[in-house]
Amino acid sequence: MTEFTSRQLVDLFRLVALRLAEARMDLGALDGAIGDADHGNSMAEGFAAVVRATASEADLPPGRLLGVAGRSFLSAVGATTGPLYASALMSAGRQLGDRAGFDAQDLANLVPAFADGIRERGKARPGDKTMMDVWSPAARAVADGARRGLSASGQLRQAEAAAIEGREATRAMVAAVGRAARLGARSLGHVDPGAASAAIIISALREWLDAQAPASDGGPG
Amino acid sequence: MPLRPGSRAAAEGGDDVVPLRFGDDPLLWASWLYYEEGMTQGDIAELMGVSRPSVNAYLADARSRGIVSIEIAPDKFRTLTIAQALRDHFNLQDCLVIPTEGGERSLIGRLGDAGARVLSRFVRSGDTLAVTWGRTVLSMADQIDAPGLQDVRVVQATGGTTAKIPWTPEACASRLAKALNARAIPISAPAIVSSPEVRSLLMEEAVLAEQLGILAEADRIVMGISSLRPESTIHTSGFLDGAMQHAHYQDAVGSIVGRFISARGDPVIGPLHDRTIGLDLEQLRRIPQRIAVAGGMDKVAAILAALRGGYVSILVTDIATGRGILTAEGYRDTPRRSAAVSERPLRARTHVKKLINSPQDAVDETLQGALLAHEDLIAPVPGSSRAVRAIDGPRPGKVAIVVGGGAGHEPAFWGYVGPGLADAAVVGNIFASPPPDPIIAATRAVQGGAGVLYIYGNFSGDVMNFDMAAEAMAAEGTEVRSIITTDDIASAPREARSARRGVAGNVFTFKIAGAASARMLSLDSCEALARHANARTYTMGLALEPGSLPETRQPSFDLGPDDMEIGVGVHGEPGVERRGVGTADACADILLDRILEEMPSAEGDEVALLINSLGSTPTMELYIILRRVRKRLKAHGLRVHSSLVGPYYTSLDMAGVSLSVLHLDKELKELLDMPCRSAALTIG
Repeated sequence: MTEFTSRQLVDLFRLVALRLAEARMDLGALDGAIGDADHGNSMAEGFAAVVRATASEADLPPGRLLGVAGRSFLSAVGATTGPLYASALMSAGRQLGDRAGFDAQDLANLVPAFADGIRERGKARPGDKTMMDVWSPAARAVADGARRGLSASGQLRQAEAAAIEGREATRAMVAAVGRAARLGARSLGHVDPGAASAAIIISALREWLDAQAPASDGGPG
Repeated sequence: MPLRPGSRAAAEGGDDVVPLRFGDDPLLWASWLYYEEGMTQGDIAELMGVSRPSVNAYLADARSRGIVSIEIAPDKFRTLTIAQALRDHFNLQDCLVIPTEGGERSLIGRLGDAGARVLSRFVRSGDTLAVTWGRTVLSMADQIDAPGLQDVRVVQATGGTTAKIPWTPEACASRLAKALNARAIPISAPAIVSSPEVRSLLMEEAVLAEQLGILAEADRIVMGISSLRPESTIHTSGFLDGAMQHAHYQDAVGSIVGRFISARGDPVIGPLHDRTIGLDLEQLRRIPQRIAVAGGMDKVAAILAALRGGYVSILVTDIATGRGILTAEGYRDTPRRSAAVSERPLRARTHVKKLINSPQDAVDETLQGALLAHEDLIAPVPGSSRAVRAIDGPRPGKVAIVVGGGAGHEPAFWGYVGPGLADAAVVGNIFASPPPDPIIAATRAVQGGAGVLYIYGNFSGDVMNFDMAAEAMAAEGTEVRSIITTDDIASAPREARSARRGVAGNVFTFKIAGAASARMLSLDSCEALARHANARTYTMGLALEPGSLPETRQPSFDLGPDDMEIGVGVHGEPGVERRGVGTADACADILLDRILEEMPSAEGDEVALLINSLGSTPTMELYIILRRVRKRLKAHGLRVHSSLVGPYYTSLDMAGVSLSVLHLDKELKELLDMPCRSAALTIG
């Protein structure tokens, strides 16, 4: 399986940052409906800071670079998303350890690693109407795909579908934690912005991997 | 349309038979006689001296010309529209929606009553009726009245559960059977057994097989729907006892007949599946009539899942839940015709005007300006652009107070740094908690060896970041305690005080904590006093216009041209209720009523007030509000010790006001009166 380098990891962050920047206004509007409208900015600025910090340290092994990414995201963002994604990125970094490169399966494994890190820091439970309602099912989709022998790209495709379904399911949830929790029933019908940005990140991972080896993975499916 | 005097009326001698008060309007007269006096059309015809068809025509004309308007009570109307929408959307056989509020009885009691009425309409002699368990089902069983039935069998839909609860499957089935003069058929086994093998063994028992055979013949079922939220019946009854921790059930959002379903309504099959004795979801779907009785906001996702999965053919719920389900499906209430208003927007404007250079520099440049304006009070913390400290610190032996939160609340938080107040303040991005690094830098810069008190509003981001900083400081040997303020009474019910937001009332908590530390009290005492102040501070706000972020320059939420948002958050979070803008006095009353309702006070007690602008509401209006608040407090027998009026804790350019009341006691009063000096608050 192809080994990717730290430079390619920076490239991956760049794609995530781009997709989040494109969604900045939409995420802000979702957040405005049930929160304080800052989520689009936080995510876009946070991943922009990740790209800046990791680009200048791309000689570090990928696992360490994920640690740099986590710290830079936290410092740039603070807020709620700062500690959560910092914890996600660091958890992913620990899994890669000091290895010199990473492969497609490692990339798919970022999803469960992110989910673990976020769960540990945020303590949100399924159904609380948070980003965990996307990360949890997406992580399970990766594990399920691996069990069924799907390629890494296939696993991520499955994670992407689970993420979108999870995002939509937050409409029927009443927020139980975070700022929207104060809204009570009025949070019904709205997609959780944290769930929406989580789905964007997962889509970007899949998109990036497919762009690396469009032929080797048997195309869509 | 002149009215010809009728024979009888004329015979009685009147020239003009239309009584004066109806003017010359026979339509009004006819309407009055019919609707207000309850006369029949025939009698009216005789009295008016016209034919009965004329009276009928008058009445029809009166309606079309708006003299009479027939209104269905709004609440009743809502129940009808929501029931109809649910029925159509989910292809139900029928749907009954009851008002969410009303009467002395709980929602469960009223749902039980409604379920009982529905069931008594459908149940027939000779029926086999399956029944699940739960509070709502038991309430239904206790309220049903269906006399004269013969040969009905009521069968448990599942095995039994723990006897620690009153609403077990056995209780629900036996009580319902008694009420219906029916035979109760138990399922003589636990609902969940210890292993699939035990289940296989039990299923071979003739008694159980016979009972399950009867269950398979059910003509209808009445069932509850359980959410899987931590507070749900299914958890509190110990039905699951740990099994739900299993990863298999993470996709489940609800439970019916002791089985689990996903948001889409698909069965979620986990390790409990082969250990459960009772109906499975396929068998459930084959029962011809499936009546679900369930309501409550926490159940919306579960009921929606059950509807999507087609497990329900008749739904009994309440308005709020029904609307929640429809909202989650993207349905919007259609406005009633009579309530239609102009849809034209107030005016088109693409951007809110702002005095900024670039959005990303706004926070830093604000702080730079503040440091220049108040250089006699505050100085930057070295190495951080987002932390400021008091120039008179650190003082050895003094507890250090560090406050902070998102930017956008100016003059919070740097405006409260100075002698007698906080020692340092840290801000994050706009409306976003600062990360741990600047908090740590500020803590190091001001701690004087006697411990540190963090004071900040209760927002999940602030809690996480300040906690991370506190952990880092603890590792360095500096003891940090955190006061998480919760003064916003609109943000959660009284029972959940610890879930409330911390907003403008922070000013009082900062002041009390600052005064306590200036007195060189211990960390324990400073902490206790700050908690005491927070516990006695009550804030309620309302917004007239949304604020806008420098980045987007768009209103952060929509507020109709004539609406205000009551209970709005200090970050523009939508409030808890929206209604038409009232006068200043009416608004002051809304805020104060809620506070007085909650604040336990005795005649003669003293309070301190903060009338705070949320950003763009002018000081002029704040004084109009203050005047009314003072008048009301006087009438309530409370004495106002001091009043702060102005933009003390803003929300960018939001228009609106918040009222904070600090319920004083002797100690708080002394601390409040101690001198302090800072950019935003100077006393003495």
